[in-house]
Amino acid sequence: MATIELRDVTKDFGGVQVIHGANLSIEDNEFVVFVGPSGCGKSTLLRLLSGLEELSAGEIYIDGERIDHLPPARRGLAMVFQSYALYPHMTVYQNMSYALKVARKSKQEIEEKVRAAAEILQLTELLDRKPKALSGGQRQRVAIGRAIVRDPSVFLFDEPLSNLDAKLRVQMRIELTNLHKQLQSTMIYVTHDQVEAMTMADKIVVMRSGHIEQVGAPLDLFNKPVNKFVAGFIGSPAMNFFKGQIISADEGTYEAQLDNGTQFKFKAQAGRLTVQDSIDLGVRPEDLQPGNTGAGTLMGKATAVERLGAQTYAYLSSPINENMIIHYAGDLDIQSGEEIEVSFNLDSCHLFGPDEQRIEFEG
Amino acid sequence: MNAIRKFASMAVLSTATFAYAGTALAQTELDFWSWRQEDVKAYNEIIAAFEEQNPDIKVTFTAHEATSYNTILTTALAGGAGPDIMHTRSYGSLEAIAAPGYLEPLDGKIDLSALSDDELLGTTLRSDGHVYAVPFASQTIVIFYNKDLFEQHDVALPETWDEFLAASQKFKDAGVIPLANGLADAWTMEIMSGAFLPNFYGKDFFGDVTSGATDFEDERFVNALEKFEALKDYMPQGYEGVDYATMKQLFSAGQAAMFVGGSFDIPTFVSAGVNFDIMQGPAAEEGGPRMVATWLDGGYGVNAASENKEAALKFIQFTATQPFAQMLTDKLANVPAVDGAKISDPMLAKVSEFHAEATPYIMLVAFRFNKPTGSTLLQNGLQELFTDKKTAAEVAADISAGIKSAE
Amino acid sequence: MAQRTATIKTPFENALARRRQLRKLWLVFLLFPAIAILLTFVFLPMASAILYSVYEWDGLVRGEFIGLGNFQKVLLDPRNNQFLINAFFNNVKVFIALMLVQNGLALILALFLAREPKGYRFYQIAFFLPVILSTVIIGFQWKLFLNPIFGLVNTLLRSVGLGDWAMPWLGLPETALGAMILVNAWHWVGFPTLVFLAAIHRIPKDLIEAARLDGASEWMIARDIIWPLMAPAVTIIVVLTFIGSFNWFEIPYIMGGLEGSPAYSTDMLGLLFYRTAFGSVSAGNSDFGTGSALAVLIFIFIFTFSTIATRYLTSREVELS
Repeated sequence: MATIELRDVTKDFGGVQVIHGANLSIEDNEFVVFVGPSGCGKSTLLRLLSGLEELSAGEIYIDGERIDHLPPARRGLAMVFQSYALYPHMTVYQNMSYALKVARKSKQEIEEKVRAAAEILQLTELLDRKPKALSGGQRQRVAIGRAIVRDPSVFLFDEPLSNLDAKLRVQMRIELTNLHKQLQSTMIYVTHDQVEAMTMADKIVVMRSGHIEQVGAPLDLFNKPVNKFVAGFIGSPAMNFFKGQIISADEGTYEAQLDNGTQFKFKAQAGRLTVQDSIDLGVRPEDLQPGNTGAGTLMGKATAVERLGAQTYAYLSSPINENMIIHYAGDLDIQSGEEIEVSFNLDSCHLFGPDEQRIEFEG
Repeated sequence: MNAIRKFASMAVLSTATFAYAGTALAQTELDFWSWRQEDVKAYNEIIAAFEEQNPDIKVTFTAHEATSYNTILTTALAGGAGPDIMHTRSYGSLEAIAAPGYLEPLDGKIDLSALSDDELLGTTLRSDGHVYAVPFASQTIVIFYNKDLFEQHDVALPETWDEFLAASQKFKDAGVIPLANGLADAWTMEIMSGAFLPNFYGKDFFGDVTSGATDFEDERFVNALEKFEALKDYMPQGYEGVDYATMKQLFSAGQAAMFVGGSFDIPTFVSAGVNFDIMQGPAAEEGGPRMVATWLDGGYGVNAASENKEAALKFIQFTATQPFAQMLTDKLANVPAVDGAKISDPMLAKVSEFHAEATPYIMLVAFRFNKPTGSTLLQNGLQELFTDKKTAAEVAADISAGIKSAE
Repeated sequence: MAQRTATIKTPFENALARRRQLRKLWLVFLLFPAIAILLTFVFLPMASAILYSVYEWDGLVRGEFIGLGNFQKVLLDPRNNQFLINAFFNNVKVFIALMLVQNGLALILALFLAREPKGYRFYQIAFFLPVILSTVIIGFQWKLFLNPIFGLVNTLLRSVGLGDWAMPWLGLPETALGAMILVNAWHWVGFPTLVFLAAIHRIPKDLIEAARLDGASEWMIARDIIWPLMAPAVTIIVVLTFIGSFNWFEIPYIMGGLEGSPAYSTDMLGLLFYRTAFGSVSAGNSDFGTGSALAVLIFIFIFTFSTIATRYLTSREVELS
């Protein structure tokens, strides 16, 4: 049981504001991922929650109770660090039991809890080892175990998988998801990797430069990014953007021309755009089709082609976008250096206005 | 080709001949080492006088740091790099360089008739009876007193122990520190004891204790210590931490009425401008002796390994003559060991007068030959006595045991 | 053909061999000064001290070979060993006191500075400043401060109404050693502080934060996390303090004199060695034999115990991460 509420949370370091009034609600038992490029403030936000940093302004509530003035240990949350932060002079058992020892729990209770957590994480065999004698994945599990034994209402993870190799990362992702199901508690997870965000989150919080850009379920973010930044950040490979201009606007009907001359018409909220407004048209790689079957067409020269059998990625260079990617489900026989034509359908495109905000198509 | 070679060899030959003639004409150069850094100027003047009479000898005077002089000198002598002539210490310290044979025996080579046997004792090696240095000056322990303070507080000069205590009490009551002396530098305690102990233990004790007829547990010595201990009431507050520099400062500044020190302290107080005079330690009883403790400060010796021994002996002979002694007292305010000098300095003349009733400065003269030395034993014992760590009898027992163990 | 290539070196191989040789020469060249200095100033004096210690000495003239006679004299002759025992226990007192006062204070200061309080750079410099001053200057300066009559310490005590506490600090056997130890602590405290501080800074911040999240108080963090992880620095400081305490010379020499005044209460092994080997005006003539024997014994003692201590302390060190 733990809901979290952030109200106008602000943080500045020596006059430089790094979190600009963040507002966020997290439901009980939710797996929330803070994602964004490095320096966006996601780790800072986590540290504000944990109490390792003090708020400059704003309030934080857990289960309706204001906790931002409490010391870290009394907020009922546990944190797993990117570096694991295992105590190098203590055994796995001592690492996991330290918090309980500090809390003056009975020896028996400590033993029970540590054993139980070790069981869940398959650490029973390793309890007498010191961190130095563990592999990266094992250390990771100990760090999680140390959080579990405290039975917290909220788990905080700060880029916990970034020190692992790719294969282990995939495995741990699944383990963490399963753990979430098993423990039934609120988890907040910070990462710069949108794949982790997409695969694990119930709710994603996209951040940029200390602002929360969008909050929502992974596919909501994928399908309806509220702005160009979210659109470009969520999804892999990233969305392609084409610049253009509004050439006519009439009540809710607009006509736009891309910089390569392609023109298209669309309906949207009346007055939202005016003539000569610059626009960005976003098309996901998988929505670009080879050939001229779609509404809009583009010519591009293939600079690199990755043929994986079941799918093909082609990197194209064209005057309107020097680095666009198409993703074709299936094998596509193109050679590097070849000029090819690609097309898209407007209803699978995303349109962003001069303020980079999403423009919803109507009708 | 041949001609050139011939010319070259001629040139070499003639240069060599010239160089040889040069050395024959040149002066003999003598190195003279000392620890008297403050006396460099005076010694250079004395040396100039010698060089005037002996134009073929040139003496270079080098003064080393006093506390490490023994180490520097012995190390140099052991390494064969010693000076031709040197200032030596006396008694036990002389033995350190005389016994290994670094010094040239002087008796028979030098006319020592202007020196008394007592003084020669300080530079005679006990084991072979030879004299290894010409004694240069004696030091005497006296009590300095501030004439102005005695006048101001109407205190009569004390002649007996009781009068001394009464005078001290009078100063104390008037808020003047009676005695400037302190404990921090242990050697100043030994000096201080030299002004008081002898008049208590009497004329015969020195002979008795050195001959082995008695030891330091002798009642005379214990009693002397007991009396002496009473002085701690008249020393500065915190006297346990008062060092030599502070003592001199207290007396120079007129904060203390008396100061027990050596005749070597006279120049300090003269230059400090204190209106002072000196007196002997008080007599134990009315009419008793007022002896001053004296010792020979050192001498002039010749390096046995010197290549210029003849010139060196010439210089050393010079130090055993009246004109030298006269310069020594005139220029350096010393009481010269050599007889016949007329002491012009009134303070030194007074010291010289005190010598009529003199006693050897016991530990330095007789008990600095073996370890532990009498000086360390006495100095440590006095520190314990004056900090109430031990009684006079215990201190005397320690000294006695230490001296016996040193045999 | 194959044989030929095997026996005759190609130009490339020759060049390689030449380069290896040059590299060796270069290494020798680089190592030479260090080895030369080590030999001349460390091993040679040590060897000569050992050599000296087995001969009888008459002042500075070497006499007969007497084996362990000098050692026997130093250790068993009550004339010598009463000083040895007294000086040794004074050194022990110095070691314990410096561990508690100097290094204890240094640890507290380091923990304080590690939290980077306002103006901590200033404090850091202020604490370290005395370290760069010459021991001789500090010794004389504090001797003046502690002067019973004119000294700053007693003047201050009197001015704040604590006149009863004004004492001849260096004159009393009860206080002299303590005063010197405090002066030494004042002089050196900056050094262990700096070493401890560097050690604390080396501990990843995450560990401290993890402990804080685990609910540990500042005291528990210091005790359970910082202290064990500072072990390498502690090893260095304990061993250096040990060596420094048993070689302590300058401060007691300057402030108490060669005889460990008052009444040998500040006598140290170093002073005893100096008096024995080189003599002093009061204490008597130099004796290289017993002096060297004493030096060898002091060396063996310090070497043995610092090795044991290093071994033991290193065993409780943990690699970070």
